[in-house]
Amino acid sequence: MERRNFLNVTLGALALAVIPASVKAEDYRTTKPAVWSAHTVDDAIQAMYGSTTLIEKGVSLRAPDVASNGGAIPIDFSTDLDIKSIALYQDANPEAAVCVYTTNKYSINNYSVKIKMGKSGTITIVAEGNDGKLYAAKKTLEVALGGCEG
Amino acid sequence: MKVKAKLKNGVIKVKTMAKHGMTTFNMMEKKTGNREDANFITHITGTINGETVLDLSTSQFLSKNPIFKFQLKGETFKKGDKLLISWIDRKGKTGKGKGKIK
Repeated sequence: MERRNFLNVTLGALALAVIPASVKAEDYRTTKPAVWSAHTVDDAIQAMYGSTTLIEKGVSLRAPDVASNGGAIPIDFSTDLDIKSIALYQDANPEAAVCVYTTNKYSINNYSVKIKMGKSGTITIVAEGNDGKLYAAKKTLEVALGGCEG
Repeated sequence: MKVKAKLKNGVIKVKTMAKHGMTTFNMMEKKTGNREDANFITHITGTINGETVLDLSTSQFLSKNPIFKFQLKGETFKKGDKLLISWIDRKGKTGKGKGKIK
């Protein structure tokens, strides 16, 4: 009896350990190609989450007010919310999506990344909460020298 | 690919840089006349001891030789564990790097 219990518990634990790992390794470029070819932030968000209702709180975004070099603009973003993905969009380039992080159980949601922007524009961070709501932060910045050549 | 990971106060701070041109469609159209020459990293994954710790889909608008910083909860991992990071680009080429948690 004890052994049976042990087996059950072990199998259960294994199943729990295996399933999230396989679910989480999601390449959004293959599963949601429309996100990456969308030309506006709204279209990309619609393609990604099926909704464009954003709640502008709970996410912090740090970016320079004026970027001298549009080829490498440092962006920091973080949130303490319980989320399953966090993504960066901007409206200065031909396509809107920049990157999407899928969170895992080890994640502390604090990221820094360098991006390119062809001209001045607005950066939008969207965090997809486990409660199904979309939390966002926006910042408009000026780009002195475009880094994308259009 | 360079990977640096540091464990301090229960938090692992990771800094990683991929060596990649990250060319956009418009850039290549100007340069070679063919938009399809554009090549950029599309997906990056990171693992420690076989556990996925980073899963990131990317587009052409990351900077050239993009740098990523992210943080992990440190309880499960210890100093000396290896963080493996690998990427794949639009043309199917892959690259990888590893770093020990210090």
